[in-house]
Amino acid sequence: MRRHPRREYRRIDFCQAWPDILQLRAEWLGHGLSTAGADRPAAEEAIARLYALLGQPPPEFVWIASPGAVGTVLEPSTVLLRSDGQWPLESQLASIVSVLRQRFDAYLTHREKAVVGGGVRKALGESVRTAVAQRIQAELTTGHGLYWYGQQDADWVAYYQVFQRISGVPFALADVEQLELWAAIARSCGWWWPREDRCVIAERPLAIKTESVGDQLRLHDDSGPAVVYPDGWSVHCWHGTHVPDWVIANPTVEAIAAETNIEVRRCAIEKLGWPGYIQQAGLRLLGQAPDPGNPGGNLRLYEDRPGENRILLAVNGSVERDGTRRRYGLRVPPWFSDPVDAAGWSYGLTGAQYSRLLRRT
Amino acid sequence: MKLAELLNWSGLDVLDHLEREVTVPVVDGIQAQGDLIVIPLSLLGAVDTWGRDYWLPVPADGVELVRGEGGNNPHTLVADTGTCRWSTNFRDRTGLGVAVFENTEPAYLVHPEHGGSGVAPGSWLVRRQQERGVGLRGNVVVCD
Repeated sequence: MRRHPRREYRRIDFCQAWPDILQLRAEWLGHGLSTAGADRPAAEEAIARLYALLGQPPPEFVWIASPGAVGTVLEPSTVLLRSDGQWPLESQLASIVSVLRQRFDAYLTHREKAVVGGGVRKALGESVRTAVAQRIQAELTTGHGLYWYGQQDADWVAYYQVFQRISGVPFALADVEQLELWAAIARSCGWWWPREDRCVIAERPLAIKTESVGDQLRLHDDSGPAVVYPDGWSVHCWHGTHVPDWVIANPTVEAIAAETNIEVRRCAIEKLGWPGYIQQAGLRLLGQAPDPGNPGGNLRLYEDRPGENRILLAVNGSVERDGTRRRYGLRVPPWFSDPVDAAGWSYGLTGAQYSRLLRRT
Repeated sequence: MKLAELLNWSGLDVLDHLEREVTVPVVDGIQAQGDLIVIPLSLLGAVDTWGRDYWLPVPADGVELVRGEGGNNPHTLVADTGTCRWSTNFRDRTGLGVAVFENTEPAYLVHPEHGGSGVAPGSWLVRRQQERGVGLRGNVVVCD
């Protein structure tokens, strides 16, 4: 027997409703990436009503310009549970929202969860929660206890709104009202830290720079921060990878050599460009050979660090918009000393097989 | 066939800086198109194909052998109707194979940044390119 008997109602055809669902998703993507100033009255009212659901009076609201400023108004977190068994307010809030979602889920079939979960929750989750909120989080070095992403909680709010608004699932009125409070917060402010007698709320960013990858978005800006807040606190990203600001602003061979995080190193080299990196770092040339099938293109094999992967510098077969042919670096195993063998390996071929390549575009 | 004719015929498009009056040669041997390579099956001993019924005809609007994901562009295989079939039912020990195809007339690979590649009649394996990943990630597929 099921713990939550599924309530029956007339289930809609998702194919017919899909345009409406996509429109709702687009609206929430807009909220998740909004760079408008916070709607302070709306955020404060919705949060005060959540406090009321916990039997608490409205808190004092403390606005900060960015999540990076939270340390100026909150102590680093230490304990979550108190010895007297009374949960702190933020834990109670986490509990009621978890229960809310369980009650909504009890109405939904596996198919509904799969279709809307993939098309709305997961899609928004990847483009907003993972790609943006978690990159911003990576910039924070100290934990300040439980908090919510505000605008970047768009994914789960949109998911349940699809069922409530488009499918017409007869959720309990009190639950719908609570969902509307979470939706109001997601429409009106950035991150927020609810505490017993006060609530810290961050402004939304001034700019969020993204690039599209298929249907998803990721943070990227190759000339400055990908996210900037009104107080100047910022987050730098290279094609979705969170990096220190020097990677974008001033990637030098010295800084790359000193960097221990290999992913950051990779981004910095890509930003600097492989040919520039190889030249400035003075990498040792192990060998070079004409690229078969690619007239005028040379394969050059370099040693990066002794014992580590080697770098094969190759030339594209087709021209760029500016008429040049792009050079690109490939990491190849350290046992290759012949550039043709290394190029063959990159396609699972021997050097002898690769040397029979007739044409490259 | 010239690139302009190939685009007209396939309905695909490439970036506008590529020279359209250049002839797309039909090559009977290994050729690379960016991060893809087309290899004659006869050159490789290590690829098994099976399941005759799993071959699919290449339709008039072509097959995307590598989808346009991850910020890169698709590689599309196009051929005259009834002259080319393709399959993903094979085992390539390198793990790089994406498709095998057989054609009785020239078939073409089209890519927005690399233009066109003509493939002579035969049996072919299409592989992606790999490089070493950073850290503990092993080898990773290159996306250009």
